[in-house]
Amino acid sequence: MMLQLASTFSQLSLSQYLVLSSLLFVIGLVGFLTRRNLIVMFLCTELMFQAAAIAFVAFGRYWFDFSGQVFVIFILTVAAAEAALALALVVLLYRRRSTLNADDWMELCE
Amino acid sequence: MDGLDPYIACLAGSFALYLLLRRGPLVMKLVGALLGLGTMGWLVVICSEVVPGEVDPARNVLFLVFATIAISAAVRMITHSRPVYAALYFVMVVMSSAGLFLLMEAEFMAFALIIVYAGAILITYMFVLMLAQQASEAEQIDEAPLYDRFAREPGAAVIVGLILAGTIVTASTTGLGQLPPPVDAATVNTANGALLEQLPNQYRDAVLAADPDLVWPPEGADSVPPIQWDADGPYVHVEGRDVRIDEEFMPSNTQHVGWSLVASFPASLEVAGVILLLAMFGAVVLARRQAEHSEDELRVDAGLKPVHTIEDEEGGA
Repeated sequence: MMLQLASTFSQLSLSQYLVLSSLLFVIGLVGFLTRRNLIVMFLCTELMFQAAAIAFVAFGRYWFDFSGQVFVIFILTVAAAEAALALALVVLLYRRRSTLNADDWMELCE
Repeated sequence: MDGLDPYIACLAGSFALYLLLRRGPLVMKLVGALLGLGTMGWLVVICSEVVPGEVDPARNVLFLVFATIAISAAVRMITHSRPVYAALYFVMVVMSSAGLFLLMEAEFMAFALIIVYAGAILITYMFVLMLAQQASEAEQIDEAPLYDRFAREPGAAVIVGLILAGTIVTASTTGLGQLPPPVDAATVNTANGALLEQLPNQYRDAVLAADPDLVWPPEGADSVPPIQWDADGPYVHVEGRDVRIDEEFMPSNTQHVGWSLVASFPASLEVAGVILLLAMFGAVVLARRQAEHSEDELRVDAGLKPVHTIEDEEGGA
């Protein structure tokens, strides 16, 4: 069974998955740049993580190397840690000014 | 001119994204959506023309369905004015990428993605969103806040995206010909056999299922005999004869991932656990409400007498 499956993942499949993952990454990037809601900005970084995970699994499948999927596990870890910390910070910021608008916190970058 | 096709497709896609992001009439957004769908179709055509190789038609159909859902949900996520809906659309992206993982035979990762991402991380996002939305939505129920309704400088952002997308898409279509060919069946077989030799119980089951009378592991041998392959499949040479092993005993994807995780990256696994623990501590410390303790309360807690008595406060006030 494994024999057949291994032969079906050609370069063409890899290229399709890579194009999909790059499009998702770029959509996440554009979203991060255009949205002004702090939480949605963090959601967009999660989208970029997702795109990276697809590329990892696709390459792992192409080489039959399972380090790709192991890296997706680590991506999940980092995403979970990032979500916990970032959301805690957002809650802190929200308590101060009752707004999620990133422009209202412009002085943080000065 | 063939080399320019991916760039032109990315240009069209970026323009579609720009139409969807900027504020304008609904007709322009429809045009943008159609243009985006057309671009995705064109990219598929470019892939199949430029890159060598064949795909299973059934898998290809599933891939196209999941990819379309993923990209449309992602676009809707960054264009929707309500953050809660944006989070829900992201769940859709996660679901469709889990489907893509299933197509790539990464079953474990597919379900881990649904459990961890859609089940845990996104729920945290939803909680914080609902927590933060109470005040603003109590006043105007129908209207999202102004900063959620309009994109900030969509033109500049789309140009940045266009440059990045053009480069990566070109590299992963026309540039992919320089990549070495995919693994052949022999490499896959060797990898499967090598892992099966590391799993004593499963190896024993596989051999005994083929020949119940064998003594396994063979007496007097330091290590188990290696798995060999010929045109008919895997076999193992033991007690002077060849025992065929059924291929259903070959390690599954989950076993491969687990072995790779524990055998190749044990230290990283520990570090990942520490990162999660520290993130949890950090989140608890950050989000905790600071309770105000007066100096007297602290002194009483420590078993000392309060400095200020009640009479003092009344007199002082």
